[in-house]
Amino acid sequence: MGKSSFLGAETIALHAGHKPDPCYGSRAVPIYQTTSYVFESVDEGASLFNIEKGGHIYSRITNPTVATLEQRIAALEGGTGAICTASGMSALFVAFITLCSAGDHIVSAAQIYGSTATLLRHTLKRFNIECTFIPINNPEALNGAIQENTKLVFCESIGNPGLEVSDLPNISTIAHEHGLPLVVDATFATPSLCRPLDFGADIVVHSVTKWMGGHGVAVGGVIVDGGAFDWGLKGKHPTLTEPYEPFHGISFWEEYGPSALVMKIRSESMRDLGPSMSPHTAFLLLQGIETLSLRMKQHVNNAKQLTQWLSNQELVAWVNHPDLPDNPTSDIAAKLFPEGAGSMLCFGVKGGREGGSAFMDALTLSSNLANVGDSRTLVLHPASTTHSRLDDDAMKAAGISPDLIRVSVGIENISDIINDFKSGLKSVQRLLK
Amino acid sequence: MIVTINKEKIFVATGGQVFDNSKPTVVLMHGSGLDHRCWALQARWFAFHGYSVFAPDLPGHSLSEGEPLGSIEAMGKWLVSALDSAGATSIHLVGHSMGFLIALEAANLLEGRLKTLTAIASAESIPVNEDLITTAESSAAAAADLMLKWGFGSTAQLGVSAVPGMQPIAIGRQIMSDNPLAIDLKACQDYVRGGNMAQNIRCPSHVILATEDKMTPCKFGLELADRLKAKVSQIDNSGHMLPLESPKKTLDAAKSFIGKHTN
Repeated sequence: MGKSSFLGAETIALHAGHKPDPCYGSRAVPIYQTTSYVFESVDEGASLFNIEKGGHIYSRITNPTVATLEQRIAALEGGTGAICTASGMSALFVAFITLCSAGDHIVSAAQIYGSTATLLRHTLKRFNIECTFIPINNPEALNGAIQENTKLVFCESIGNPGLEVSDLPNISTIAHEHGLPLVVDATFATPSLCRPLDFGADIVVHSVTKWMGGHGVAVGGVIVDGGAFDWGLKGKHPTLTEPYEPFHGISFWEEYGPSALVMKIRSESMRDLGPSMSPHTAFLLLQGIETLSLRMKQHVNNAKQLTQWLSNQELVAWVNHPDLPDNPTSDIAAKLFPEGAGSMLCFGVKGGREGGSAFMDALTLSSNLANVGDSRTLVLHPASTTHSRLDDDAMKAAGISPDLIRVSVGIENISDIINDFKSGLKSVQRLLK
Repeated sequence: MIVTINKEKIFVATGGQVFDNSKPTVVLMHGSGLDHRCWALQARWFAFHGYSVFAPDLPGHSLSEGEPLGSIEAMGKWLVSALDSAGATSIHLVGHSMGFLIALEAANLLEGRLKTLTAIASAESIPVNEDLITTAESSAAAAADLMLKWGFGSTAQLGVSAVPGMQPIAIGRQIMSDNPLAIDLKACQDYVRGGNMAQNIRCPSHVILATEDKMTPCKFGLELADRLKAKVSQIDNSGHMLPLESPKKTLDAAKSFIGKHTN
């Protein structure tokens, strides 16, 4: 049973946030491709601007198609509300700056997506927001890194690229003891496999570009408010509790409680920064989400079978997936991901950097590109692409070995994926002879 | 704002404006396990349209200190004390569900200060299933789930929200899970004199009902309206949780009536 809906996840994915269009009976969610909305009267317009009534003013702030997607994702995650953004990175930026001001501090997992690390390490630093990176599953490290000016703890439910699962119950307990919310990027999981709010997280962020959409045709992000965090308890979050001048000194926490975060983001970041999602993008993502649970089952099944097959190949040096016993967090994965810990896996082929390159060039079905979460199988050899300018030592520091091949396992017939990988390994074999 | 009643600090939402007791006061009284946040939008509208808003959290609820009160009668007296301490003189009482029962008790004590009385999704009594009370005694969250599944109408159950991006069921659950729901439900169960109290009401009154309300079905609300000789408004596509579920329609109905009876 969800916190936001009493419907099953499969039903939520198809229906939440939408009833057939009252004007024309459209069963599908219409694309409300409009910038703005007519006010019924001057007073009605004034009330919308002053948050006295819910409704739409301008599509930078809200849009009916985007709102349907927001309500659907909020229901899937069990949150009190959600805000969609132009990308996963803008969702993270908005979440961070809604809670942090200049002089504040973030504690983050060290093993996170490269662009997120850059945002935390370099971009936010220009605004005098500092970040300490730690091995997130180490309680001593987490307790030790939290400072007086820390405003949040951040991690990914499945870390990228190391595929370590974050111990959300323990991390959230420690964060809460310090009066801090836990923000979780759950992109690699989707609510079909793990709902971080059920394990103590307070805010969930996704790049919905990935598995949520699944089709690889639309870029977007979302922030989901769990609604359970008491922003007023320890006075650590003045951006939500102190009077906000642009709206007559409103205190979002006092007035909105469980929806304070979403109301603040809507009133500040969406209005002032404008990282909005287009209605057409929301429509495309809604098409993907309708089949989320079916796709994730196939993703996970294929990942399990491919992992097993790779583990039995002589030319494969190692395989990493959170469900494998060799993964240091496999026990946590079993608790948090009972259906399987996603469809990302990494493996190394014999022959190092050259072996990896040979494998990649022989593939014909799988796509060599820098994305994950498509319904198609995607592969990347970081040593020859994204990290090609690094020497071996620098790559090791980044958690990437020269032979590492990252696979986002798709939902094709597993035999076809395995046959494609067989071609890759034959190429490695030729190289090694 | 904070008012002090019996040495306990009570939180009162004022809709984003400073409370001014020289203005007509709209009192918004929440229902079982809820708090002032169920009135977030309506409170703000009244506060920016010539009224002072007084939307308290009951003792022991959300931002208010103190022990929860165990009877509707005590809650009614407490509300009058709170209004006295704020110096409110021209009062429009609005209550949702149990909040109306509290308002009904208070109405009988306010005499000439009371200008109008509005019931939202309520009746002259609100019997509560004993099993629900027992569940609430062991887990407010579990009882909240039962109430929200029953209390929200079919549209909200589909995750459709009048406020873009929000999930009112989850908002209700978060508020109710942390509040003394069992005590409130028991107070409703024990309250039997609503009919008599309603007969004493002489001010203009208004009963706002939801056509999909399963907790206080319309027929009981209509009986209340008969007793009060009240104006009746019915809101379609909504269940019992009107202030959260259909905030704009609820506001439109309430403000129209109160506006007609405001000097």
